[in-house]
Amino acid sequence: MVVNQETQVFLYFSELLGRRIVDSEGRPIGKILDLTGNISEMYPSVTEIFLRRTDGKTVLLPWRKLTEIDGKLIADSLQTEDFREPVLRPGELLLKETLLDKQVVDTDGAKIRRVNDLQFLKSQKVLYLVHVDVGFHGLLRRVGLERPINFLFQLLFDYTMADQLISWKFVQPVSSPDLLRLNVAQNRLAQLHPADLADIIEELDIHQRAAVFRALDVETAAETLEETDPKIQVSLIEDLDMANASDIIEEMSLSEATDLLGDLPKDKAEGILKEMEKDVAQDVKELLAHPEENAGGLMTTSFLSFAPDRTAGEAMETIRREAEDMDLIYYLYVVDSDGHVLGVLSLRELIVADPGKSLSELMDTRIVAAHIEAHKDRIAEDFAKYGMLAMPVVDDDNRLKGVILFKNLLEVALPNLGR
Amino acid sequence: MVENFTRTFRDLWQAFAEKKAWKSFALFFALIGPGIITSNVDNDAGGITTYSLAGSEYGLTLLWTLIPITLALIIIQEMCARMGVVSGKGLSDLIRERFGARITFYLMIVLFLTNLGNTISEFAGVAASMELFGVSKYISVPISAVIVWWLVVKGNYKSVEKVFLFACFFYLSYIISGFMGKPDWHAIGSSFLEPTVRMDTGWLTMAVGVIGTTIAPWMQFYLQSSVVDKGLKADDYQYTRMDVIFGSVTVNVIAFFIIMLCAVTLFQNGIRIETAKDAAMALAPLAGNYASWLFAFGLLNASLFAASILPISTAYTICEAFGWESSLNRKFLEAPQFYGLYSLMVFLGAGIILLPDLPLIPIMYYSQVINGAILPVILVFMLLLVNDRKIMGSYTNSFAMNVISWLTVAVLTTLSLTMLAFAILS
Repeated sequence: MVVNQETQVFLYFSELLGRRIVDSEGRPIGKILDLTGNISEMYPSVTEIFLRRTDGKTVLLPWRKLTEIDGKLIADSLQTEDFREPVLRPGELLLKETLLDKQVVDTDGAKIRRVNDLQFLKSQKVLYLVHVDVGFHGLLRRVGLERPINFLFQLLFDYTMADQLISWKFVQPVSSPDLLRLNVAQNRLAQLHPADLADIIEELDIHQRAAVFRALDVETAAETLEETDPKIQVSLIEDLDMANASDIIEEMSLSEATDLLGDLPKDKAEGILKEMEKDVAQDVKELLAHPEENAGGLMTTSFLSFAPDRTAGEAMETIRREAEDMDLIYYLYVVDSDGHVLGVLSLRELIVADPGKSLSELMDTRIVAAHIEAHKDRIAEDFAKYGMLAMPVVDDDNRLKGVILFKNLLEVALPNLGR
Repeated sequence: MVENFTRTFRDLWQAFAEKKAWKSFALFFALIGPGIITSNVDNDAGGITTYSLAGSEYGLTLLWTLIPITLALIIIQEMCARMGVVSGKGLSDLIRERFGARITFYLMIVLFLTNLGNTISEFAGVAASMELFGVSKYISVPISAVIVWWLVVKGNYKSVEKVFLFACFFYLSYIISGFMGKPDWHAIGSSFLEPTVRMDTGWLTMAVGVIGTTIAPWMQFYLQSSVVDKGLKADDYQYTRMDVIFGSVTVNVIAFFIIMLCAVTLFQNGIRIETAKDAAMALAPLAGNYASWLFAFGLLNASLFAASILPISTAYTICEAFGWESSLNRKFLEAPQFYGLYSLMVFLGAGIILLPDLPLIPIMYYSQVINGAILPVILVFMLLLVNDRKIMGSYTNSFAMNVISWLTVAVLTTLSLTMLAFAILS
């Protein structure tokens, strides 16, 4: 059995770019302008060299034609058919053009980074893209100041600068929509928490933003949208067609969806409402009728209410069935047949209760509620005072109209919490 | 370009005619800001000094140059704003992606030094104007540095922008003091109608100085980033263009009043000055105490305004180019390079002013010289970028616009290089 003795070596992209390729006699063939890689692989392998030949033509040459001897890049016994017109095959892309100096998302650190260099692993003559260099050291290497600055640092501070490398498996390029589409099968953005994703989307430029957002599945898109700045929410939704937009908005919580639709231009909002499921659209329209700074504008109607004669066991069943679509399940509101609020009990109280007992026996009748026209500052004060997760909203006749989630009030309440 | 402008005005007029006037005004005011702020920051301590000198030494003869300067400013700023709106990226971002790490690295070093020089002259302006009100620079400069630093680091950008827009109104003080000089409008009018070019070195250097102070490298970076920050879209572009034009015109109106005031008072009485502070002092017996105070107050406002914006703009530009975290919404430790650069510029800028026996005039002068040397490079980069279809799509320059803008850049480059040559020879 033949054992391959070739060692694996790391190689920087900046060390290859601009290098001359010669034939075995030492006559120049051309200069490396870029490399192409197959992006659909886990660690993309370098397929071809994009070079400018000595006759001035730019062509592609297969990477495997190249050997390195004594620091010289040699391509031997080349035929004219080895060169190819510079047209990329599907899945192939130019590494310098799409990655170097561009922004990428580091899905491990949940940050946007700028690529200073690429690091390849050379194994059995094949070059694999394994790391992206985002550090200052990499920048100096590109600038050509690596040695002098290293020397200076060593001399003055006895300090060696370390490379800041990110493994390719945590890198999501965003410089063109194609890159995001190619990676859909192993979309790395899905590894991110929606809140982090929202931060990243806010930092990207308008085109990248739209491309990243389109690459998300409906559920992630909805969760991410909930965490995004309202101004950017609007611009993201405005870029989508009505059907896609309504799919995503349906997945959002009712109160977030309402706020968003309220911020959209009228015709766009109406178009989306038409596309949405009838009952959801109806709920949204009702909520939209209330001014945003009042209880009515802050509340959601997606919660559970029960008749007083239902038992704890039955209520449990209902919750189990409906919980997934509800904005709030932590409180159960007990109402009579006309919708008047009789009492409230928490999910915790329900879980520990005897399943046979009726809700009217279990409920707490001291209800803290907000009037539907109450101002948000007033509500925030009550939230701070009573320490609840959610507050019911009632009309003049004490009929239950909706529930305000603490989360939705957070922006209003936050300045008041310090007091 | 010309038809674009007329279209903008026609659209606005139509909106007005259809009684949507309020709506379009409201929209305009929601979308303006970047252009007006950038232009006004440009009338900083260095600018006011140059204008004062131009008026007091050469009277009304340089006034007409403000018209071509306004046009050049509009042409250049319009391209920047367009790039910002269309690409959604800042200028240093685009330069890095298109021209690579090496060029960007050295460009950023030069830009840092230039802007540091400018920041020093802003704090010098603060010191000079406060001394006119009897406050020692050892009090005024540290306090203003802390205020500037605190405003940006602890405030949020929205409120900061409002403060800045408000500060723009204080430039009116120059217009008021201009009227206090009782100008001879007839003579001013004829200076525009019969423009003269004097072929002596002093006059030409001053003309280049006026141009150099009006079109500065950092402005392009700042304008483009603030357009991006505002999240403006291609549909809103007509308002951004109005914003840029409005800003460019106002900045030159202010310049007009400063030159004019110094011309009708100082020049006619044969008073020689060396700084803006001298100008303010010399104005008192000629145009009254109020005119002098207004002049000094304008200088203070301009210096503080520019001292707040220059360092933050530099920090943004550099961090953007190198991919460092750059946001005022981050904590100090999350964006160390950003806050580090920003603080370094503010405190170095203010600290250097406090050194005794500082050769202030050479510092201001050399920062202007580097400004002039780096400007052509940036303008050429801008033109290459704005004509790149990959970045700009269908929003690249039209042929006519390209002819005009390359010509403008050629003229500016020649002038900048001339100034550089003068500086080296003298």
